[in-house]
Amino acid sequence: MVLLLKNCNAKTIASMLVMGAGQLLYRQWIKGIIYLGVQAAAIIFFISQGALMIRDFITLGTVEGNAWHGTPGDNSVTMLITGLFAIIVLIIYFSLYITNIKDVYETQRLAESGKKIPGFFEELKELSDKKFYKTVLFIPILGVLIFSVLPIVFMILVAFTNFGGETVPPALVDWTGFESFRRVFSLGSFAATFLKILGWNILWAILATAFGYFGGLGLALLFNKKCVKGKAFWRAFPILAFAVPGFISLIGFRFMFAAGGPINQMIVNGGGDVVLFLGLNSTWLSRGIGLLVNTWLTLPTSMLLATGILANMNKDVFEAAGIDGAGPAKQFVSLTLPFVLFATTPVLITNFMLNFNNFGIFFFLRGGFISEGYFLASDTDLLINWLYRLSIDNNYYSLGAVISLVIFLITSIISLDVYLRSDAYKKEDIYR
Amino acid sequence: MKKRILVPLLVLSTHFLVITGIILGAGRINDEAPAQKIEKFTGVLERDITLRVLENDTALRQGYFEELLNAFNEEYGQYGIRAVDANMDQYLDLENDGPFGFGPDVLYQANDRIMRYALGRHVQPLPIEQLDCYPHIEEKAWDAYKITIDGQDFYLGAPVNIQGPLLFYRKSLLPDPDVLESWNALYKFSLERRENGEFGYMKSLIDAYYSLGFLFSYGGYLYGDNNTDMEDIGLAMGDAERGANVLLKLASVMDERCVDFTITQISYSQFASGNFFATMTTPDVFTLFVDELMAVGYSREEALAEIGIADVPKLPLSGDLTEENPELIPARLMGGVNGFAISSYTNYPNAALAFVDFATSYEMVMLRNEMLGIVPARKDAAENVGELAQTINNNLKEGNIVVMPSLMGQVWTPAETFFTDLANDPFRKIADQKFTTPKSRIDALQKLSDQIYDAIHTLR
Repeated sequence: MVLLLKNCNAKTIASMLVMGAGQLLYRQWIKGIIYLGVQAAAIIFFISQGALMIRDFITLGTVEGNAWHGTPGDNSVTMLITGLFAIIVLIIYFSLYITNIKDVYETQRLAESGKKIPGFFEELKELSDKKFYKTVLFIPILGVLIFSVLPIVFMILVAFTNFGGETVPPALVDWTGFESFRRVFSLGSFAATFLKILGWNILWAILATAFGYFGGLGLALLFNKKCVKGKAFWRAFPILAFAVPGFISLIGFRFMFAAGGPINQMIVNGGGDVVLFLGLNSTWLSRGIGLLVNTWLTLPTSMLLATGILANMNKDVFEAAGIDGAGPAKQFVSLTLPFVLFATTPVLITNFMLNFNNFGIFFFLRGGFISEGYFLASDTDLLINWLYRLSIDNNYYSLGAVISLVIFLITSIISLDVYLRSDAYKKEDIYR
Repeated sequence: MKKRILVPLLVLSTHFLVITGIILGAGRINDEAPAQKIEKFTGVLERDITLRVLENDTALRQGYFEELLNAFNEEYGQYGIRAVDANMDQYLDLENDGPFGFGPDVLYQANDRIMRYALGRHVQPLPIEQLDCYPHIEEKAWDAYKITIDGQDFYLGAPVNIQGPLLFYRKSLLPDPDVLESWNALYKFSLERRENGEFGYMKSLIDAYYSLGFLFSYGGYLYGDNNTDMEDIGLAMGDAERGANVLLKLASVMDERCVDFTITQISYSQFASGNFFATMTTPDVFTLFVDELMAVGYSREEALAEIGIADVPKLPLSGDLTEENPELIPARLMGGVNGFAISSYTNYPNAALAFVDFATSYEMVMLRNEMLGIVPARKDAAENVGELAQTINNNLKEGNIVVMPSLMGQVWTPAETFFTDLANDPFRKIADQKFTTPKSRIDALQKLSDQIYDAIHTLR
């Protein structure tokens, strides 16, 4: 950049003031007009709406509406979204502004070195050839920005407001800084509940991922044995379980474990007492059943994945290991597991994240309770369930946003850390 | 060299300043004058318009809504007014959809749902004195839609039908009409049936909508000052623990299925098979009992003759269901008032008001009763549809139906947790039972009140 500032000529400086001016002076008419159009459109947008959107983003509204009197007021949430949009437009504008300067400087250098300055259509052709990756990636990146980044930024912003409770439009929402964070982390029962759920959530994610993964791997290894007859037939069973929609299975399991369900009927018929498997005080029993049911639901995917990977393993390696005296356990730990882990680390991380945010499992299996010592949560709730209760049942949107942010940070940090430490990242070439 | 850098830096800064200036300058020129208040109900009908009306699913399925629309359109077609089905989910999101023009103009909902919109002013206060139904409806029914702001009362809906729990029983299994008079008699009869491997009264006690009433009957209340003061949660007040004791006894003549929603799900079929003698529910599900009886071989007429409907039995003042010849008090159970409201975002308030007036007229309410079996809120209609309708109207008038307040979101989960724990108690080992003494029940009810208070207030 410093080099650019030192060496730029008058035509490049012209583009710094008016976008496209330098390009026009270099007779790059179409490109110059496009850049000029971008600047004109941006100025028109900001004069007509964008500037107001940014102002409203800062104030989040000043006039409260009254629908009874037909007096429209400011909608703080809309202002938050439109303000965010205007800021994104501003960022895009400055990005294009910098691109415009770099582009004209590049042209300046070509002109100074006596090379031919490419025309508009030549540059377009390059976009479908050497710079094809830019053309192809443009739409997905735009999609990610609109559908992933924008909602995340919106959620982060909500965490810094008092949106929720009675403060929902038409009432005006205000920026409250870190107040929602302070409440989540310092408010007696709330903070205690948060820590308890977080602890259980992490344990759940690790156990659920491990059970599903190793259960699937175990089944795949079993079905891979030569002694197993009718492999296709046996493999069909877990696939059938996989084919049934998850929540249908969960409702089925809930019925089976209910006080009046078939399992209890068998217990009673056998002379025993009714067991409240998913009852109010059945903390670890419910958690155990949750793990069991989740394994049932996730195991088929791991099994199919592992079956495919095992089919690609070189059998000679096992033969050689056997000759060297390695038993089946040693072969599994030193050969099979590293090979499968290498190929499936990204899937393992995805499973961990899905399990960490597994909303349905206890929601459908156990329903809603408030457990002793928990604030609006049960002892089987995961953070995502608690988030739902706070946000949907109780309208605490800003506090829900804080918890979302915490979930996002935890899952991102753990996933990145695990991935960066894994062989799948560090030893990418080892199995090639 | 410094001069060479200075010029582009100056130009870059100028560009930055111009853009900043535009944003700061243009951001200040929008201070519009505040909008003027609009008087919506002018009495002048909007012409050549289409009204979007949201009705409940039962009215749609049973064909009543079509009858209502046809009748209204026939009468108001001369003004170019046409009412149509809003064709949207009955659990609409008026606060988010309304301001953007997506909601209905007129909506039929329960009072708690309509009053949820009160704070945000999403439904329009009605000039109720202008409605034909106004003098024919009890003040208590109107109160379900009342909100007081700065000392002034506003009414956000026009009552159509009253929802109150009733006892549904099998007439052929009834040994003696006295069984229906008190919970003590019903409890005793239920015990007898249990000895034969059958059930008497059955209900999912986790269902807070019904179970809360047992606490109300003995002086407990949800919110103070007629369910308006949310600082005062009184579920442990009065002798509410006696209500909890009644529920404990009722659980003991059922089985473990009363701790979850299993009984609610199977009650219609078990009622039809004769395994359950009675259950408590609202009149709008009457057709489900008929359907299940027909499924086991009854003709429609036989099914209608077999289903007995009675007012909820009286409770013993002592809260002891085993007491012989107890002093009885009326049960005060949760209920509601369903009615029509007008969206604040409608462009046709006068036509919408005409629709509400039409839909709450005597003829349409009678037709609604005939087709849907609802209990009319209009006294003149209730008088003509039978004793039960008058009983329910009377229950509302006497305060034996506690109209459900709008803020229930923070009540359901704590209440269901408490009732689950309570209903579990008879099935625990004696040493593990939690609710055997009045003090233990009072403490649990106080904890329930605290949980509801915390849910509402802690994070505000």
